Amino acid sequence: MSTHTQRPARRKFLKKAAAGTVAATTASVFPNIVLSANKTLTVGMNIPMTGDYAPWGLPGLYGCEIIANNINKEGGVNIGGETYDIKVASYDHGYDTEKALQGFKKLVLEDDASMVMMLGGSTVAAVLPWATRKKVLTTTLLPSDITPDSDYLVATCESHPLYNVTGVEWLAKNFPDVKSAAIVTNNDAEYGLQSAATYQAAFEVAGIEVVDTHLHGFDVTDFAPIVSSVLAKNPDVFCMATSFYVTPIMEQLYHQGYKGKIISCTLDYYDEIIAKTSKEFVNGTIFQFPDFDDPKLQESGVNFPDPAGFDAAFRKDHPNDWSAVAWEYPAILLNWLDAAKAAGSADSESVATTLKANKQEFIFGGGDWWGSQLWGLDNALVGRWPIVVIEDGKARIQEYGDVAGWLSSNKDVLVKHMKELGLRTV
Amino acid sequence: MILPSFFADSFYETILALELFLQSIVNGTIQSGFFALAAVGLVLIFGVMGVVNFAHGELVMVGAYTVWFLHAQHSTPFLITIVIAILVVTVIGILMEKFLFRPMRDDPLGGLICSIGVLFILQVLATLVGGDGPSKQVPPPFEGTMVLFEFLRIPYQRLFSIAVSVAALGLLWHFLTHTKLGWALRAVSQDREAASLQGINSNRISMIAIAVGAAMAGLAGALMAPLTNINPHMGHNVIITAFIVTIVGGVGSLSGAVIASVLYALFHTFVTTYFNGTVATISGLLIMVLVLIVRPTGIMGHRVSE
Repeated sequence: MSTHTQRPARRKFLKKAAAGTVAATTASVFPNIVLSANKTLTVGMNIPMTGDYAPWGLPGLYGCEIIANNINKEGGVNIGGETYDIKVASYDHGYDTEKALQGFKKLVLEDDASMVMMLGGSTVAAVLPWATRKKVLTTTLLPSDITPDSDYLVATCESHPLYNVTGVEWLAKNFPDVKSAAIVTNNDAEYGLQSAATYQAAFEVAGIEVVDTHLHGFDVTDFAPIVSSVLAKNPDVFCMATSFYVTPIMEQLYHQGYKGKIISCTLDYYDEIIAKTSKEFVNGTIFQFPDFDDPKLQESGVNFPDPAGFDAAFRKDHPNDWSAVAWEYPAILLNWLDAAKAAGSADSESVATTLKANKQEFIFGGGDWWGSQLWGLDNALVGRWPIVVIEDGKARIQEYGDVAGWLSSNKDVLVKHMKELGLRTV
Repeated sequence: MILPSFFADSFYETILALELFLQSIVNGTIQSGFFALAAVGLVLIFGVMGVVNFAHGELVMVGAYTVWFLHAQHSTPFLITIVIAILVVTVIGILMEKFLFRPMRDDPLGGLICSIGVLFILQVLATLVGGDGPSKQVPPPFEGTMVLFEFLRIPYQRLFSIAVSVAALGLLWHFLTHTKLGWALRAVSQDREAASLQGINSNRISMIAIAVGAAMAGLAGALMAPLTNINPHMGHNVIITAFIVTIVGGVGSLSGAVIASVLYALFHTFVTTYFNGTVATISGLLIMVLVLIVRPTGIMGHRVSE
């Protein structure tokens, strides 16, 4: 009798214990999975996660995962009457064009990605014919990837390197004694030369003479001779247009006793630069990419939910990985979701049409579709852009610059410098 | 007396030009230390074992990663991490000799292919240890800059590196020229069979050669760590430079490698300063090709009769 009464209790205990173990194991192994009855909407990230370009890929994936988890925890996103959870599928192409095409096809065909985010450059050029033929909405951070036929390629966040003009404008306004500048950058056509042409145009418009434009390859192991050579021209401003080597260049500027102003497109991992030089030396450096705990980003007019919370979540999970792209891919994802909600569909054609037809809200406010005058198609969303300066060892936004305003007044100067450096314009 | 503005400008420009010239000599001399450390290891391994070790750049990379991991990540004192880096890379070298190069001794192509395999393995291991993402940075343990004559600037970290490089090369020179083991090593390098007939254990000497060569690579990586971007692919540029220096100096010649390192570092630095880095690298490769055509034995190499 006793056995009959005890057996069900034992079974019940075993069942509960087993269920509890499975649940506990699942929760610990897959902490980010929220059990949900929602359908899944996949967005793709075909980015470099290893190699030289990894700093401009991997942090973006981390950022998108935070955004996707936040959306899913809040119940998902409603598109066309259906609620979806967001899934971020990623592929590491290591900035290899063959892998980029392979990864793009994998994300679209196997993972069913509705949209694919990319860094830009030759990897975008490699996927563009297929993406256009298959009508897959693709995003880039380099609007110079846009061609007259690339209907499904948009740059909705970063318009590299057009926003750099705002930093030069601010520099000229606040330091009127500055008369000369030297530019150092990589010699690639995708990042370095585009940026060099933009800075040359911005300096010309600001009345600052460019005394040297030093282009270097990707095989540099010692920046001492390059910095010595440039400093011999005695520039008031040392400009790193778009460099993968900001840290060693800054280190050399510090050791070679440079006292002038420094302006750079990016200043990724500036904590490491301070550790290798000094806070006093890095203070005053002008660049273009804010931290998201910046007080100015918490004000109205910024189209990014809880920037400070995002910054804190990112740095808690990935304490050493914040870079310029940490918030850019998430901003693109949020922009795309807004368009998909407005379109009532995640279909590329519908979203692309909605994106272009609606007045889009750029992440920092404003926003105009631009690009036909330079690349043949208005597929780059250009809005106001922050000018950031290191103050007491911390990146702080000084003000926002008007990129579209500068372009409307000075487009011809930019085109002239782009042509001089052999870059494509329409 | 006030100089006319033309002369004043001209005088000022001359001073600036002189400053740049002297700073370039300093920059080139410091660079030559790294080149020499990397190249002598390659020369030693090739001279004794006849293996072109394509993974030599990756041995330098492992040295740099060791310093990053222990010093930057776990606050181990810098000098101790240098010693550990040398030991780690030496052990890797010994394992390569014992399990790859020794079985392939009669097949030079086999050894070369094995070294390429090791190259990839070490790159993947570095990614596993250091993770994906940005290049690693090591804060310089020696801060500050020495200023000479108010314009020549030498960071203490670089000064430390060149001093250690010179000391290490001096020790190696002493070892090769004043110790029985060093003589044995040079004997095997000149003629393995004749050395064996004299009772020299060529297996043991091969192991010592790769241990010393790898130790030099580990030291080069450890010294470079606070001065460069550390990533799994950093060995690529190191091996190109080491090959240029080795060929120009004379394959198998340690003194040639050191002399070529100094010449190449100065050449590369001056061309980078007065033209640009890409021109410097291309010119370096052209010089290597020229040496192969005009004087295949290099600066200090000797013609070996069949």
